[in-house]
Amino acid sequence: MPQPVLRLHSIVKRFCTVTAVDRVDLTIERGEFFALLGPSGSGKTTLLRIIAGLELPDLGTVEISGRNVTHLPPYARHIGMVFQNFLLFPHKTAAENIVFPLRMQRLPRAARDERLAWAMKLMRLQGLEDRYPNEMSGGQQQRVALARGLISRPALLLLDEPLANLDRELRSEMEVEIRRYQKELEIPFVYVTHNQEEALTMSDRIAVMRNGGFEQVGAKTEIYTNPATVFVAGFVGHANRFEARLVEFNGELARIEWKGTSMLVPRPRDATPGAAIQFAIKYEDLEVARGVNGFDPTNRNWLTGRLRDVIFKGQTANYIVVLEDGTDIVVSGDPHGLDLKPADSVVVHWPITRGNCFEL
Amino acid sequence: MSGLEERRRWLSIARRPGVRFAFLVAPGALFILIALVLPLLSIVVFSFWRTQSYELYADWNLNNYRALLGEPAYRIFFLRSLFTAAIVSFVSLAIAWPVAYLIAKHGGRYRLLLVLLLAAPFFTGVILRITALQGLFGPIGVINMALNMFGMGPIGVLMYTQFAAGIGLVYLYVPFMITAIYLSLVNFNFELLEVAKINGAHPWRAFIEITWPLNWIGTVIGLVLVFIPCLASAVTQRFLGGPQATSFGMSLSLQFGETGTWALGSAMGVFLFLASLIVILAAGRSINLKRSGFTGALDR
Repeated sequence: MPQPVLRLHSIVKRFCTVTAVDRVDLTIERGEFFALLGPSGSGKTTLLRIIAGLELPDLGTVEISGRNVTHLPPYARHIGMVFQNFLLFPHKTAAENIVFPLRMQRLPRAARDERLAWAMKLMRLQGLEDRYPNEMSGGQQQRVALARGLISRPALLLLDEPLANLDRELRSEMEVEIRRYQKELEIPFVYVTHNQEEALTMSDRIAVMRNGGFEQVGAKTEIYTNPATVFVAGFVGHANRFEARLVEFNGELARIEWKGTSMLVPRPRDATPGAAIQFAIKYEDLEVARGVNGFDPTNRNWLTGRLRDVIFKGQTANYIVVLEDGTDIVVSGDPHGLDLKPADSVVVHWPITRGNCFEL
Repeated sequence: MSGLEERRRWLSIARRPGVRFAFLVAPGALFILIALVLPLLSIVVFSFWRTQSYELYADWNLNNYRALLGEPAYRIFFLRSLFTAAIVSFVSLAIAWPVAYLIAKHGGRYRLLLVLLLAAPFFTGVILRITALQGLFGPIGVINMALNMFGMGPIGVLMYTQFAAGIGLVYLYVPFMITAIYLSLVNFNFELLEVAKINGAHPWRAFIEITWPLNWIGTVIGLVLVFIPCLASAVTQRFLGGPQATSFGMSLSLQFGETGTWALGSAMGVFLFLASLIVILAAGRSINLKRSGFTGALDR
């Protein structure tokens, strides 16, 4: 059994009265792309800074490659880090920035130059060696920052919202690039982001953070399709949410009642009939049809309403449907397939096995 | 009709970029001309004249410069001033860096207050402050009196020596150095030090690699602000330095006072000006804007 690269053991960090990180345990294996996903203030950056050695945890231990580094300073941990605002050294050229970690390790010049050439090629930065940071574009600066983080082949690379300052197009390009570097180098990445799309695109595993603790840790498909809590269901993906009452169990399903409508939904974990529950269903799990005759209703739930608007998104469109009681439901679907106009009466339907149910 | 034409013509002239530039530059240029260039020019002119019995005579000669370069006394005064200025600058640097760093990094909301406190000594005049130091260091000053009370002898090195004058100069000029370095450090991104540490730099290495070069301009400004006045300084040495500390500045002021040799004094002034100019040019040359983290456009 190989050593995990990173092991956190019940890390606690408080700032005055605020608990920024609350008893976090985490193990990251070799070659893993791990995302820490959470809203701002959820403690993800503090956790990253604890791993880096920039903050000392109040309790708990940090192990990197089997070594307890809890009380070691950052420069003794052999890690790399990439920051949101790049933080290149403004008085050093791109090449000087990139070889900085190697110079600190006192690597001989020849080896340094060889590694520099490798990193410049990997990051497609050839020809920019002598540029100063202020003479490069945001994307180039970010690639220099990545090269600096990776050049010493650290045990672990920490990334703190590295794409947040880039424009949208560049961001999606860099998402693919960063994942490519990670897979090529097999260095585990810990990637902090508040952007669920980034986390879903790039990572293998995701931890969803909230109020300093982990809400759910798991493979990204697991997080997406089987959220463990109401919070995860609301934070990852886009979901419609119904606050309903659990009526009875029906095998793997449960019957719930929402505003007088009865629906069959996947069975919630540990709830008893009569309990208040929340049913969350992702936009893309819903379908919209012209009328009750427009689809086969077996094993499906359906609600009738009136189309309010269609928001064209490119590959998909969001159909906003107002139910009879005034509730808005969003359905993500084919932007061209349905010839619907606002104010048309429609039916929203979905398979009874879709969606997630949580006790409130 | 023609009045309107006339006005239009003047307006169009006033709107030309060159004219506009001239108007903007004129007040400053005029001030510098009257307050700096003209007096300096007159000093240069006087330095080639002759004084006799407290009168200036306009017969052009090089005797003042000959005396200045030929007589060993002036050379000694100048080298002494140069040496004092260098030592005082470096001592001030060593004191100012930690103080400025502490205020900039850990001053928090008291930062501004702490910096303004540096101006506290300026509430009184130079002479008063120097006299106060005299009262501290002198034979019947606080320090030696106290030592005497405990039956110990006075500290000789504090009484009217070059060392005492040096302390006085450091005391007078260190606030300028602290301010210059502080102003540089408040614009310094301390996060860069975290980056350096994560990338394997020990704290002292991070200082040498990052903090020092990125604050070099502030340091240079501080050095210049201390070195140049020290080079010309007269009062401090006169009050604290005793007979062995006669400085170039003291000698210079004597020429305009007691001895009344204005022409020689002017030559000394020109010499001092040139020396200061060399120092400033050297300081300027040591600054590579890009290597100082200058982030503005340079030649684009």
